[in-house]
Amino acid sequence: MFLSNKILAIVTFLYLFLFFIHLIYFATKREKVLGFMWISLYTTFGLHTVGLIARWVESYQMSIGRAPLTNFYESLIFYSWCIAFLLIVMKKRLGFPLMTMFASLIALAFMGYASFSPSVDKNIQPLVPALQSNWLHIHVFTCFIAYAAFAASFLAALFSLFNFGKGVVPPKETLEEVNYRSVVVGFPMLSAGILTGAVWAHYAWGSYWSWDPKETWSLITWIFYALFLHARFARGWKGRRIAILSIIGFISVIFTYFGVNFILSGLHSYGSA
Amino acid sequence: MTATKSNGGEGQAPPSPSFSDQIHSFFSSVSLTIFLFSFIAVASIFGTLIRQQASPQEYLSVYSESTYAILSFLRLDDIFHSWWFMLVIGLLVVNLVLCTLPRFTRLLKTPPISKVPDRKALDAMGLRFTVQGKKLDDVSGMLRGYKTAHTGEDGRVLERGSFGRYGFYMVHLSIILILVGGLIGLLFGFRGPLILNKGETKNAFMVRGSVMKSQPMSFSLKLNEFTLALYPTGEPKDFASDVEVIEDGKTVLRRTIRVNDPLSYKGIHVYQSSYGSNPRFLFDVGGQKVELGQGSVYKKGNLQLLLVRYEKSVHNFGPGVQVTYLQDGEPQTQWFLRDVPKLRERTVMGTPVRLENIKDEFYTGLEVAYDPGVWVVWTGFALILFGLYVNFFIYHRRLYLVEVPGGVQVAGVAFRNREGFKEEFEKLKGRLGCS
Repeated sequence: MFLSNKILAIVTFLYLFLFFIHLIYFATKREKVLGFMWISLYTTFGLHTVGLIARWVESYQMSIGRAPLTNFYESLIFYSWCIAFLLIVMKKRLGFPLMTMFASLIALAFMGYASFSPSVDKNIQPLVPALQSNWLHIHVFTCFIAYAAFAASFLAALFSLFNFGKGVVPPKETLEEVNYRSVVVGFPMLSAGILTGAVWAHYAWGSYWSWDPKETWSLITWIFYALFLHARFARGWKGRRIAILSIIGFISVIFTYFGVNFILSGLHSYGSA
Repeated sequence: MTATKSNGGEGQAPPSPSFSDQIHSFFSSVSLTIFLFSFIAVASIFGTLIRQQASPQEYLSVYSESTYAILSFLRLDDIFHSWWFMLVIGLLVVNLVLCTLPRFTRLLKTPPISKVPDRKALDAMGLRFTVQGKKLDDVSGMLRGYKTAHTGEDGRVLERGSFGRYGFYMVHLSIILILVGGLIGLLFGFRGPLILNKGETKNAFMVRGSVMKSQPMSFSLKLNEFTLALYPTGEPKDFASDVEVIEDGKTVLRRTIRVNDPLSYKGIHVYQSSYGSNPRFLFDVGGQKVELGQGSVYKKGNLQLLLVRYEKSVHNFGPGVQVTYLQDGEPQTQWFLRDVPKLRERTVMGTPVRLENIKDEFYTGLEVAYDPGVWVVWTGFALILFGLYVNFFIYHRRLYLVEVPGGVQVAGVAFRNREGFKEEFEKLKGRLGCS
């Protein structure tokens, strides 16, 4: 057991704690609770960052020396981090209690799965030669920022389909704006992720595109969000229709991330261990 | 869509669109774009669910014979290289060109703005305010970042982010470039494995495809040394081939090829993709040291040895090799075990034959690829990222300044990102002291 594993296990409990603070807020509706929630969120995010850095440092102490972005455990940890990061950066637009509650719930699910599932290997494994490349950092980083942006779009779309009380979720117009603006950030990021992956594949495998299941599914997701953007900007789709598109898009993201690892095998198989 | 307008009231039927117009409007329609993209997405899903480019035996172990017949008839066993997938990609290129080009020429022909909209139009703009007690020049001087697009008696038009309008065309052009680059690679490129043993020189490799065929290269490759480094866990840490490029009998280049660091020479890339090992057997035959590989035959006088089979562990007695030989006219097959002294040495036709050692000799698995389209694809990649940035993060907006009694009226309009512009407009208002 590494120190970073312990820190990240504590972070998992902090996300659970955040969820309970939200419940208390919804029970009492007191603004003070909300202020305390934000302080807790910053603390959790800070410790989460420390955990990632600790893992990075520990890999150097083991003379393996690589960024913590290389296996399934680390990708789950990093994805949760990206979601919290986006929540804090976009506090002005996303900072509504139901939004932060669901975002911390998603982070909790991923962190809990990473930290406590026996099927997820938590060791710092050495890197196989194909992964020893600087393209790794930019490729994984852009892909996960895109995934996090699509998660924000998904949450906004989901909330816009239901009627909640005032002040609990952002107003409908804000939700719609968050929905497509997140895609506007996520789509170029996903493009960058696919393209950096292709350039890397050219140098590592000798071909920039091999129709490997991960590549193919990322292309399907890309095509889907391209259709989303055309529906929004060329056809002026709004409201319910654009929200449903966003939800289907996120299902494709989830399949690209998890489904390919577990159901289909391919060149990206290191992501599933 | 070709819009047909009648001049109204004269009872004349509008001319029906000609056949070529109909064809044109079909190929340039957005509906076709959506259909083609959806088709590619669905075909890709099938491509990940059905194994691609496998052997008939592999398919028949999963599917029935009739299902396999359907799969191979529809080319579902190699979707991404099938004629119909190529056709769809080709149609997409045509569609994108026809969608983009007319819009682009229209944009180029748009004359620059030459007048300020009239009072009524300005009053209809949601974003406006009046700066009291300032002259037009003072106000326009304070709006940094905006360029003057028109100035005259009627007022002044300031513009910003008009470059953003080009993002759309860059993205579409880049997709065409990527598809064309991919097509060039598919039509004129080739790739395949090249296996080299230590010291071996080859000037051809096998091209991968439905039929494996040998492809000569304009140069030869010689493997000087293969090195493999392992982690303490036994996993590979690094593997590399020290190779020489030989052209017209002369060594022109000597270099180490690593994973993630290919060799490129005259447009051909050589990648480190795999490695493997062959056992080498060191024998002592009547005092003479000989090194033999699996399947090889050793002859000396009337002594003949054929190395048939190698096992890493023969009944837990360690590694051994099965050797067939003639003993007084009778064929015999015996195991030589390295770690068992009694089974290590035998006398064949009066000559003592002794297995001294077994060692692994590594060979390198290289991948040779030639892809003349790759630079077109790279250009497309760079252009699409730049184009997406321009399209989504630079947006075209205008400010209209008109002198009114006692001050200057400022009105603004954004052609995209209206929410973002609203915030910017509020800030401008604050800067001009009108909040």
